[in-house]
Amino acid sequence: MKKAITAIIAVVIIALMALGYAEAAHHSAHSGESAEVNPQEIIFEHLGDSYGWEVPFSHSKRIPLPVIVRAQDGSWHAFMSSRLADGAQYDGFQIAKGGDYNNKVVQVLPDGSQYRPVDLSITKNVAGIFIAALLVLLMVFKVRNWYKKNGMKAPRRFTAALELVVDFVYTDTIRPIMGKEAPKYAPYLLTVFFFILTMNLLGLIVIFPGGANLTGNLAVTAVLALITFLVTNLTGTKHYWKEMFWPEVPTALKCPVPLMQVIELFGIFTKPIALMIRLFANMMGGHMVVIVFMLLIFIFGSMFGTAVGGAMTPLSVALSLFMLLLDVLVSFIQAYVFTILSTMFISMAHVHEHAE
Amino acid sequence: MELFKPEFGLAFWMFIAFLCLFGILAKWAWPFIIKSMEERADLIDKGVAIAQEAKAKLDNAKAEADKLVAEARNEQAEILREAAKMRNELIEKARGEAADEAKKVTDAAQVSLEQARKEAEKQLRSEVGDLALQIAEKVIRRNIANDDAQRALVDQYLSEVETKN
Repeated sequence: MKKAITAIIAVVIIALMALGYAEAAHHSAHSGESAEVNPQEIIFEHLGDSYGWEVPFSHSKRIPLPVIVRAQDGSWHAFMSSRLADGAQYDGFQIAKGGDYNNKVVQVLPDGSQYRPVDLSITKNVAGIFIAALLVLLMVFKVRNWYKKNGMKAPRRFTAALELVVDFVYTDTIRPIMGKEAPKYAPYLLTVFFFILTMNLLGLIVIFPGGANLTGNLAVTAVLALITFLVTNLTGTKHYWKEMFWPEVPTALKCPVPLMQVIELFGIFTKPIALMIRLFANMMGGHMVVIVFMLLIFIFGSMFGTAVGGAMTPLSVALSLFMLLLDVLVSFIQAYVFTILSTMFISMAHVHEHAE
Repeated sequence: MELFKPEFGLAFWMFIAFLCLFGILAKWAWPFIIKSMEERADLIDKGVAIAQEAKAKLDNAKAEADKLVAEARNEQAEILREAAKMRNELIEKARGEAADEAKKVTDAAQVSLEQARKEAEKQLRSEVGDLALQIAEKVIRRNIANDDAQRALVDQYLSEVETKN
């Protein structure tokens, strides 16, 4: 009985999905709007940054965010992004359409050319980062306050889940790798883990507090990788640098032609770059696949007609749902991989004599 | 491709946000959480060790108690057995003594009875002899030829009577 009800509900939902698309296509055909879809544009619009935050069920409404730019003459300008909506110009600034600065704020100079100002706007992604940081702060302090208040008592519910993750990352990963130095570097590594995990998961939520493709953005992962790079090399021991510039290999490999040194030096930079690309590509790829599966409806619709597009709907929804679930897993794995690799890089820079 | 060009503003804010987050958490949260977690892990480990020890002790105590009970039971059985033996011995002894006493009493009685009988016999014999003589005197007073012959005859008769008895 229960199974039958579930099946009926599922069929109704699928039928509504298909009908919904057909109805929308019909409507747009009548109103004379172009039914053409440009998948590339949609994908990059969703993956990229923007100056406002979309609101569900509306194409035009955006939550306005502050734009902060430094004009060519060195003066700073700050205003809400709502003033630039629909291509409007404000204070000499507007959002470029097409060209080198597509979808970016540009200053229109008196001669009509576009100047890209220094842009410290609180864009959608920046706001997303702040939200993620705030959430991490709340979660970590929840655990800390539990310990402050309840001492040795075991936490319950959400706090217990958080503590489990902290324990997993710290006790099972950082401590075995770092050994005695674990407490010194654990705060950084745990912060990285929770920050990345939160950003990853927020990116999977499609409406307001989430939806910003944070870790799928090269700037974000580059900063994270850069910090790991700095921590690794600034805390490296003498022995680490000696290994780098005078490794224990046959002299022929290092003396006249500094072969080993070049390789080692190259390795210093490839490690963080690999970190950066790995996280970026995984998260961006996941998002992209989800969007592409959804777009299949419209692509099929425009290619073979509305009926086919409608029929595609259940399949598309099922596939992107599957991808989203997979992305939840990937979110955790990538956050963990970034953390464990950072841990290893840092601990490798802490080699001591006779401790190979 | 916009996606592959890192935006300076975003990197800037990301850097700021991360540093703030790290600063706050590293100062006020993580060290405390890690310390508490390790303390609790130690506490739990210690608790387990103590519980195991206590269990071992309890097991030992139980074994010891069982041993004590078994010993006590053995002792009790020993005592009971000894008591039974002693009782039997006492009864035997008393019975023997009683039998001896009884035998002594009967022996004494028999001796005195024999004596009494012998005395009575003696008395009887002399009395009967006297009586017979008196009778014979009376008889013979009338018919007396030879007193001594008569007397020997009487004595002979008396012996005959006695043996007959």
